[in-house]
Amino acid sequence: MENPENLYPVDEELQKFIDYRKRSGTIWRGVFLMSLFVAILVLIVLMLNIINDAFGLVALENEVDPHSLVTGYQENTMVSMPNTFASTNHAALAAVIQQNETGIGFVGHAHYQTNADDLRLIAVDGQFPTAETVADGSYPFARPLYIYTALDTLQSEPAVAGYFRFYLENANNSGGELGYFLADETLMADQINLIDTLAGGPQALDSLGGNLALSGSSSLYPLSRQMLLDFRQAGFGGDISIEQIGSEAGIEAFCRGDIQVLNASRPMTVAEAATCQRNRVNPVEIAVGLDALAIVSHPSLDFLESVSLKEMGQIFAAMNYWDEIDPSYPVEPIVRAVPGEGSGSLELLSGSMFSTIGLENLSGAAYAEIIRENLGRGRGRALERDQRFLAEGFIFDSQTAFNGACASAEPPTGCAQPARDRDNLLDLIEQEIIVPQIQQTWPLYDSIFNRQAIVAEASRKYPDAIVEFKSWLNPDFLVNPQSSEAELAGVRTAIWGTVMVVATTFLFSFPVGVGAAIYLEEYADSTKWYNKIIQTNISNLAGVPSIIYGMLGLTVFVRLLLPLTSGEMFGRVAEGTDPSGRTVISAGLTLGLLILPIIIINAQEALRAVPNSMRRAGMGLGATKWQTTWSHVLPAALPGILTGTILAMSRAVGETAPLIVVGASTVIRTDPTFFSRFTVLPIQIFQWTSRPQPEFQNLAAAAIIVLLLILLTLNASAVILRNRYSTSS
Amino acid sequence: MSDSNDSTNIAVQAKDVSVYYGDFRAVKNINLDVARNKITAFIGPSGCGKSTLLRAFNRMNDLIPISRMDGEIVYRGKNLYDADVDPVEVRRRIGMVFQKPNPFPKSIYENIAWGARINGYKGNMDELVEESLRSAAIWDEVKDKLDQSGLSLSGGQQQRLCIARTVAVKPEIILMDEPCSALDPIATLKIEELMRQLQEQYTIIIVTHNMQQAARSSDYTAFLNMDTTDRSGYMVEFSETSAMFTNPQNQQTEEYITGRFG
Amino acid sequence: MINSPVHDIDLTEDVALSLRKKTKWHETLIQGALVACGILSVFTTIGIVVILLNESISFFTREVFEITNKSIATDIGPADTTFETTASGSTLVVGQIVRVDDELMEVLAVDGLSLTVERGIQGTEVSFHTADEEIEKSVRVPFREVFTGSRWQPRLQQFGMWPLILSTLMISVISMIVALPLGLASAIYLSEYASNRTRSIVKPILEVLAGIPTVVYGYFALTFMTPFLERAFFGDNIQVFNTLSAGIVVGVLIIPLVSSMSEDALHAVPQSLRNASYGLGATKLETALRVVLPAALSGVTAAFVVAISRAIGETMVVAVAAGAGPRNFEWSQVFTNYGETPLNPLQSAETMTGHIVRISGGDLSYNSIDYNSIFAIGLVLFLITLTLNIISRRIVERFREVYD
Repeated sequence: MENPENLYPVDEELQKFIDYRKRSGTIWRGVFLMSLFVAILVLIVLMLNIINDAFGLVALENEVDPHSLVTGYQENTMVSMPNTFASTNHAALAAVIQQNETGIGFVGHAHYQTNADDLRLIAVDGQFPTAETVADGSYPFARPLYIYTALDTLQSEPAVAGYFRFYLENANNSGGELGYFLADETLMADQINLIDTLAGGPQALDSLGGNLALSGSSSLYPLSRQMLLDFRQAGFGGDISIEQIGSEAGIEAFCRGDIQVLNASRPMTVAEAATCQRNRVNPVEIAVGLDALAIVSHPSLDFLESVSLKEMGQIFAAMNYWDEIDPSYPVEPIVRAVPGEGSGSLELLSGSMFSTIGLENLSGAAYAEIIRENLGRGRGRALERDQRFLAEGFIFDSQTAFNGACASAEPPTGCAQPARDRDNLLDLIEQEIIVPQIQQTWPLYDSIFNRQAIVAEASRKYPDAIVEFKSWLNPDFLVNPQSSEAELAGVRTAIWGTVMVVATTFLFSFPVGVGAAIYLEEYADSTKWYNKIIQTNISNLAGVPSIIYGMLGLTVFVRLLLPLTSGEMFGRVAEGTDPSGRTVISAGLTLGLLILPIIIINAQEALRAVPNSMRRAGMGLGATKWQTTWSHVLPAALPGILTGTILAMSRAVGETAPLIVVGASTVIRTDPTFFSRFTVLPIQIFQWTSRPQPEFQNLAAAAIIVLLLILLTLNASAVILRNRYSTSS
Repeated sequence: MSDSNDSTNIAVQAKDVSVYYGDFRAVKNINLDVARNKITAFIGPSGCGKSTLLRAFNRMNDLIPISRMDGEIVYRGKNLYDADVDPVEVRRRIGMVFQKPNPFPKSIYENIAWGARINGYKGNMDELVEESLRSAAIWDEVKDKLDQSGLSLSGGQQQRLCIARTVAVKPEIILMDEPCSALDPIATLKIEELMRQLQEQYTIIIVTHNMQQAARSSDYTAFLNMDTTDRSGYMVEFSETSAMFTNPQNQQTEEYITGRFG
Repeated sequence: MINSPVHDIDLTEDVALSLRKKTKWHETLIQGALVACGILSVFTTIGIVVILLNESISFFTREVFEITNKSIATDIGPADTTFETTASGSTLVVGQIVRVDDELMEVLAVDGLSLTVERGIQGTEVSFHTADEEIEKSVRVPFREVFTGSRWQPRLQQFGMWPLILSTLMISVISMIVALPLGLASAIYLSEYASNRTRSIVKPILEVLAGIPTVVYGYFALTFMTPFLERAFFGDNIQVFNTLSAGIVVGVLIIPLVSSMSEDALHAVPQSLRNASYGLGATKLETALRVVLPAALSGVTAAFVVAISRAIGETMVVAVAAGAGPRNFEWSQVFTNYGETPLNPLQSAETMTGHIVRISGGDLSYNSIDYNSIFAIGLVLFLITLTLNIISRRIVERFREVYD
């Protein structure tokens, strides 16, 4: 025999060999650990991904700005107050105030200047309109003034270009005298350059052909008129004319192409500019100065020195007599002169005067008024039939038409219901008028670390949108029903659906599953072929793909047992409607069959764990098998059975595929009953995930969090149950 | 006692060995010299820590996470518990046969070859298998069915297969943990004969609670007992087997080997 | 047992009577109810088999009408049994069922362009037909085509199931590539390396992973995995819906299953085998890979088989992330241009389960060809998964005997 030592590695070779084995041991250990880590990593990434999508910045664009509804409502109120004179013509306003001893109102500062002897200027919060207070913004009713023309006009009519250039050069000379506040000199110079670039350099005034026709704002009227007169004085030979129709009407006409040069006391909105563009009117905007609205009264109202914005609200939009404002004031009616509807002045006024009033501060009556003003007639009528807006009277409908509808075979729901309350009206305004629309959403990570970039991007892409942080998971999300508007959609109906489907599942599968387990463990002779078949069959069923159960449910519950599952048997189908078996009951029974094997297997294990001595003790006392099982074995096994059942239920809560096959509906807006069509959380998640719009992915993420929380609760209760009873027994 | 001065005749030495499981000290303060090419038996009542002590010799206790050891096991002048000693190589040098036969669920051939292969054996594998099976006195019984599963053999054959498997990696010392406790008397006898043969090449340490077996087949015997106060095992007496069984020095030993307790 | 003192009741008279076996209705009734509960599960299976078979049979025996591009040449009244047809279109043969408007006719004789028919068969109403009305001929769903064809569009008389089967296999393969190594490796770590503490932390995490609804994994595939693959590897080459992402996520979803079943098998290997291995001087790795794993091989194999079955039956991930619409192909493309077949993991393809979900999620009318067809797919799916599950249990049963 050879020396055995030599056939194994020795000395250095042995050392190398051992090192090699150790090293590969370490490497593989690392490989195994990494594999395990991957599983944990996935769980973490999955959770982070969901959280990342469930919270974050959104760019929200309202179809209508909620504040404009407030100001619009307040403007209406103001204009329709008693003893109120409204006009877009400031000279007329000034005249009304001069003629009434208790008169108060607003005129452009220029108009006040011309009538300064007959009018008394009142301070707002202690501030009079001066160059300083207007420039630094401490006087609230100030705004820039603009003249507009179309680019085509500017380039093809030298008279317009000439007039614009003249305006910019001279407005600051005449403006001050007329009561305007001067525009920045460099701005004016820049704008002259702009005109030169667009229309070519200056030309001699007397050589300019054509006429000039101005229209629009009354506030700018005195200045533009003065400029026209000076222009003619300086040598312009054409005809000149100027009208005052208010800024809004002016802009509208301008965008139709009906006005050559527009005076405006506010800038065009984005929407208006878009309208212009559509009509191939390419507006050129030139700022010519600043105007302030002066609040003035008849000289005899000397008790008013200064008013606050709040007092102004009372004076112009609430009270009718001076003594209602302050008891020391005279018992005289308030006579008001306010800028007419559609003027930039009124908008400026209401924007500042009511800036502190939010939509939520208004009364129910105000909401009804806003609905009247902003909602289409057809839609309004339909909504009014669903539920009335007013306790007395109608906004869109008429009493006779409504009574007629109520007397018909299928009366609308509004006949039996009380009128909508304030909250309901507010919701309606949000859904029907404001219609918040999400333009874009950003995930949480970017929202935190790239906030600036996002805000910049959003203000470029959606200038009218608000960028705000949104938690997609919020109380509204939990209580709102499903909706096609991402902003308004919620999971209430889906949660109810899940609760009811799972309740049905439990009621069916728990007794049957436990019964089968008792049979197999306590009664059945497991050597008999038929019991073996049952046992084998149960474990086979546990491996059948869940979608197959869906097909079973579709055929058996939805189609064969239609009278039962549609509720027809119980008279639960409204006459004239088609009964559908695609109900909560069908879904619950299908899931019941699906989790039955799981419940049976778990319950069998729990029963098997009950010591035999307990059975013998019962039998020894002369109890029958069932008595023993019922009063000894079952109570001992119950915690185990319940734990298993809860885990099976959590499987049912998360199941999706079989319910799609059974026929879950995706859009369910009313809370389900057992015989109604249904949706459940996983279905909702599936549906939202499948939508292409990114905001629905956010909704899906939020719904996933709700679903996971429900599952977590279920599992935690199973663990608690298991721990409590396994330690005590 | 043993000829401790002649270090060439000592295969392995235990110096003040204590083994702990968590806070519990299973054996304490064992000092023991194991003579080369002799059979040393550990006897003692159940729970006295003789298996624990045995496993300390090839660091099998390392596999029990809560175990800990004090003292030294000196093999070839090296403490096996030094930080630079690799337990894997220790176990190759000091092989082990377990209480219950535990062949791998592989063929008889593979049962022998596997250990050799992982330890880098370079010779002819067929020869090694035959040689090992022969030295475990099982060759004649299995030579025609080397490709059958090791589990198909009887208990005694399985145990001899396990011994053959251990022998194949050429250890210097073989630890046997009650190798016959699961076997019938005939199989036991065969294993005892085998031990006598193996003794020529290997040093054997055997744990047994069968006193006749110790008396019949070992050269030296250590008697361990449990300390009644702290329940740790300690060594009562260690001497040549013939001396211990004819003339025990300690009263406990005498009581134990005459069967008055244990 | 020591009885309590006998009460002074005279037992003698009634004892014989009371010991006689009685039928206890109450007990029998309860037992009957329990048996019924047990049998319900058998009925579930029978129900599944019956409805799948039944609808599949309707699918295969169903008459679908195909346009012949041939129409009647002259007006025919209710009494006419012979009429002329246009020359265009496919030829009709004797015995063929044809449909004109809603009336079914059987062709009795063909003479050039003139047809002799039996009118109003199968209870359809005999009516007047004007010239130029289209003649449709009935065809059966060809059994052979279903299992060999490569285009699945039942409404267009294309019945090859392979586009669905192939993409199902594709996703299963991808998921197995992910799940088997990772699941097995983590099982080895948990069983052979991990301390009890690690195990007590990691196992619940795996349970949580296993308990997450599959639709959530679908969401994960669509909103994380696909964009990730796109950014990290494939750029524009990968479609929004693709089988790769779905397959990977299905694999992830199956990891806990593979891991826990494999770990059970590894754990069941007796400690004595590990000791024997260590006693021979084996390292931990050698013990784990070359002793424990081979000993647990059947259990691990069973885990793998169950995992495959699970992957094939998985629905929501593929319904969300793999794509809607079967990827029809030509067999020749498999070798020449496989990029256009379901074998391309970067493109969308619909699996069997995905197809069932999409069809049944839409507006589905009973008795339509689509309705029947999803049951035929369901039957194939059921048979595949059932076979795999039975195989797996057989393997496990054999494996149990070894160490008992």
